[in-house]
Amino acid sequence: MGGGAVSEDGDPGFQIAPMVDVVFVLLLFFMASAGSQVIEKELNISLPSGRSASAAGAVPTTPILIDILPDGKIQMNNRIYDSPTSRELPELRAWLKETIAKFGDKDPVILRPDPKTKHERVMDVLNAASASGVTKLTFS
Amino acid sequence: MSAAPQSRKSKKKVRKPDHEPDPEFQIAPMIDILLVLLVFFMSISSTEVLQTNKEVNLPIAKEAKEAKDNPGQVIINVTYATMNDATAIEVDQRGFGSPSDMVPLLQDKVGKNPLLRVLIRADREVRFDFIRQVLQVVAESGVGNVTFSVVDKDANAPS
Repeated sequence: MGGGAVSEDGDPGFQIAPMVDVVFVLLLFFMASAGSQVIEKELNISLPSGRSASAAGAVPTTPILIDILPDGKIQMNNRIYDSPTSRELPELRAWLKETIAKFGDKDPVILRPDPKTKHERVMDVLNAASASGVTKLTFS
Repeated sequence: MSAAPQSRKSKKKVRKPDHEPDPEFQIAPMIDILLVLLVFFMSISSTEVLQTNKEVNLPIAKEAKEAKDNPGQVIINVTYATMNDATAIEVDQRGFGSPSDMVPLLQDKVGKNPLLRVLIRADREVRFDFIRQVLQVVAESGVGNVTFSVVDKDANAPS
């Protein structure tokens, strides 16, 4: 019994079984706690600021304007895309993918959320835009 | 002839000692554990961890990109209290009353690191009006690279 021989004077010697038990308990603990951890990720935008703005010779581009209304509706060119409760925004993504496929991604996408819009909704749109391959995203 | 009674076999008798001496007090293992704990807490309190406010409930965005290494960043935490609909800003564990109070701090940091980027950790319930003010202040301070922090799933939701 144990992991070591009982030496003559009754001293238990080196027991490896309890150590292995402790290692497994620790392993289980860290497995359980790692499953519930969230890793923070990022969505990038660019702001027109003096330092990082590219050279003033701007190529005339037609920006894509997306309005976000306070109730969650997404509006572009006077047309509503997707329902306010849709988190994935499939119609918007499809339209953006199509546009980028036809015209490339050099046209900036400008977001104009209503001041009362929730940050969550703005992130939904950013997420959809980023997933559709938009590279130039900014707010106005 | 019956076998002579076996002489007492020389069998090993496991002798229980009458009393076991107490193990003597060993300080070396205690100091080892102390040092391990010290190293653990030193590594946990890195500046990244201190800059994030754990009460911010980040919005969910499934297609967000992994955080990549950055040339120095400032983390702006925008908290939201549901109870009284109050938004507050916290940077480097300092609270700011309004976004424009951050201008000197941001300009100072940009002066030291021109490639600085700003990471905005805003609660999902914050109204865009507030975020717009923060973005304006950040743009005024000369930072062009702005990133929003999101998560890809809720901590307690079944994956």
